[in-house]
Amino acid sequence: MTQSDKKWDGFIDKLKLSRRDFIFSSVAAGVLTLTPRLAGAQAGKPYKLGVLLPSTGTGANYMAHAIKGLPLAIAELNKRGGLLGKHQVQMIYRDTETKPDVGAREAKSLILNDKVDGIFGTYSSAVALAVQEIIHEYKVLHFAATSNSSKITQDNYTPYTYQFCPDSNMQSGAVVVAVARMAKKNNWKTYVSLGQDYEWGRDTHKGFTTGLAKVAPGVKETRQMWFKLGETDFTSYITAIMAAKPDFMFGAVAGKDAETFMQQAGQMGLFKRVPFPGGLIPVNDLKAQRKTLPRGIIGLARAPFFAHLNEPIMQAYIKRDRAAFGPDGYPDDWAVMHYDALGGLDQGAKKAGSTNTEAIIKALKGATIDTGRGKRTFRDCSNQLNVPSYVGEVWDSPDYPFPIYKPETMIVVEGNEVWTPTCEEVEKLKKKRA
Amino acid sequence: MDIGPYALQLFSGLSRAMVLFLLSAGLSLIFGVMNILNFAHATLFLLSGYVTFSIFTFLSQQFGASPWMLLPAIVGAVALMSLVGFALERFLIRHTYERELPEQLLLTFALVLILGDVIKLVWGLENRRINLGVQPIEMLDTLVNPYQFVIIGTGVAVAAGLWYFLHRTRFGKIVRAAVYSRSMVSALGIRIPMIYAMVFALGVGLAALASGVFLPLLPMALGIDLDIIVQSFAVVVIGGFGSMLGTFVASIIVGVVYSFSILFWPDGALAMIFLILIAVLIWRPWGLFGTEMRS
Repeated sequence: MTQSDKKWDGFIDKLKLSRRDFIFSSVAAGVLTLTPRLAGAQAGKPYKLGVLLPSTGTGANYMAHAIKGLPLAIAELNKRGGLLGKHQVQMIYRDTETKPDVGAREAKSLILNDKVDGIFGTYSSAVALAVQEIIHEYKVLHFAATSNSSKITQDNYTPYTYQFCPDSNMQSGAVVVAVARMAKKNNWKTYVSLGQDYEWGRDTHKGFTTGLAKVAPGVKETRQMWFKLGETDFTSYITAIMAAKPDFMFGAVAGKDAETFMQQAGQMGLFKRVPFPGGLIPVNDLKAQRKTLPRGIIGLARAPFFAHLNEPIMQAYIKRDRAAFGPDGYPDDWAVMHYDALGGLDQGAKKAGSTNTEAIIKALKGATIDTGRGKRTFRDCSNQLNVPSYVGEVWDSPDYPFPIYKPETMIVVEGNEVWTPTCEEVEKLKKKRA
Repeated sequence: MDIGPYALQLFSGLSRAMVLFLLSAGLSLIFGVMNILNFAHATLFLLSGYVTFSIFTFLSQQFGASPWMLLPAIVGAVALMSLVGFALERFLIRHTYERELPEQLLLTFALVLILGDVIKLVWGLENRRINLGVQPIEMLDTLVNPYQFVIIGTGVAVAAGLWYFLHRTRFGKIVRAAVYSRSMVSALGIRIPMIYAMVFALGVGLAALASGVFLPLLPMALGIDLDIIVQSFAVVVIGGFGSMLGTFVASIIVGVVYSFSILFWPDGALAMIFLILIAVLIWRPWGLFGTEMRS
């Protein structure tokens, strides 16, 4: 192990020790001293990047890798000189606790006290919607890398927000495509829905039920069940689902609630009785539940690395993260989307020839960027990146220490195949802002 | 009429009730005896879960993986956390006895934040889980998790054990007496501070037991303490602070009502619990089995 590697290990340890208000910029500044600046490049004003992600609350387990990985990606960018080769990126991290009020407060603090130039985040759509009000007021660039309510780029549209994940309509659309095929094949007629009772859960459910009603009108929803965020005991929900005897169930469940639900449902044999196609099973769940996740279950992912192994950018993400976090350190969906957002910022600045927010948002409008998921283009009317959703069967691969989606079963639904509504309708939905 | 679904809903409600009881018993005991509203109780439950996980992992590495390793892991965690509880009372909590309730709440809320950071420091952000490899069994034409019998059995056994302890042992009788009148207990020459420290240790030990028993079903994650403390408070208020029988009955009411609400009116399941809570607060503010008598 080289001296540099040891210093990196120490750096990562510090990240694990992060406190709620731990400011990563000080650590990143330390890293910068380890890395040579580009010879001859004139150092410009540092670019302050606020990162609003939860390390507590229901989204914490999904964001852990991104929180650890982003400083590495930023350090790598800074090795090349930073944005435009001269603006070093300083990351300032804040914990949103997966709460809208905390997210809004921290966004304001980042803007007013830390004078950030841009903000990445958040996990929860409810938090993202609250943050949008702040970033719009202060005209600060906002990359919603993982929160995916369609409202973020439609009803609550602001020109300062760009979305890097498939939105709830696109994701539901992908599940609709997959479920409609299965319903036809298995002659499914009824289903029960279980969802987190908040913005994303309701939005995802609405997208799915509306979409399925169009393509498979004979399939009826017989029950809806909503649970509060942070539910710790799903046994009564699971027995109620089994009592309803549906042909399949739809779930809008994510974060640690998804982990808890899957663990309890697996032990109660729910999936042996009721198929659960299209439940969110991103890479971090595939890793965390490698022993317990029922094989053959149909999952949904937003940006699984194993779907893009041929992409050089994805290969670089994997190489970097495995070097830093060990053989098991494959980036999860959430980390990939944040790395893509950082790449988007870098490319946006290049296209604009500036780190000025107005110049970057103008340059990214309808732009095509290189990502770990290939070349991707922003939808002109909403700043939604055209990215796919992935549906596939959980399967033990000989190549990984955790299950992935079986390649032959994987359905990749491109964003522009299922994004709704039309641009004309999006324009009507957009909030009238001052 | 097919009673299967109702019987299963009752079964899952009882399982939920016993988890609530195990968690709330310590909270009720601490408040009943010491008059301390321990907001950090569920955070101690969470910390215990991580401790149990670590002991379980250590034992599995040393002696080979087996579901039975959970037993010594729980025993170890209960012992360790009881000591933590004892130390907390001696060094921290005892300074708040003469303070107002808001100050007690502030102190115990500070503990929530500090212990949360301790968990981050020691275990990081990743959730911790134990997989016992339990397979579902068929019952009443559907499948159930046999581990739920363990949860229900533990809850009933702890309730019986606590009843015996409080009604049949000298120390238990002193504890019960302290619920009603500390000054009288003190006047009899009994060292109240030591009673308090031991009761606090017992309360934290019960939280550790609840955590260990629930661990195979619930991954330990930062934030779940705040998710469960509210229902736990509801149980204690409905049952009556300091009354173990009240806590037990209230746990069953909350667990079963919640479970059947999910079957018949899922949107109103949580509201039902708080409607009961409001009704109790209006008509019997000291709880179903609590008492007004207190000095």
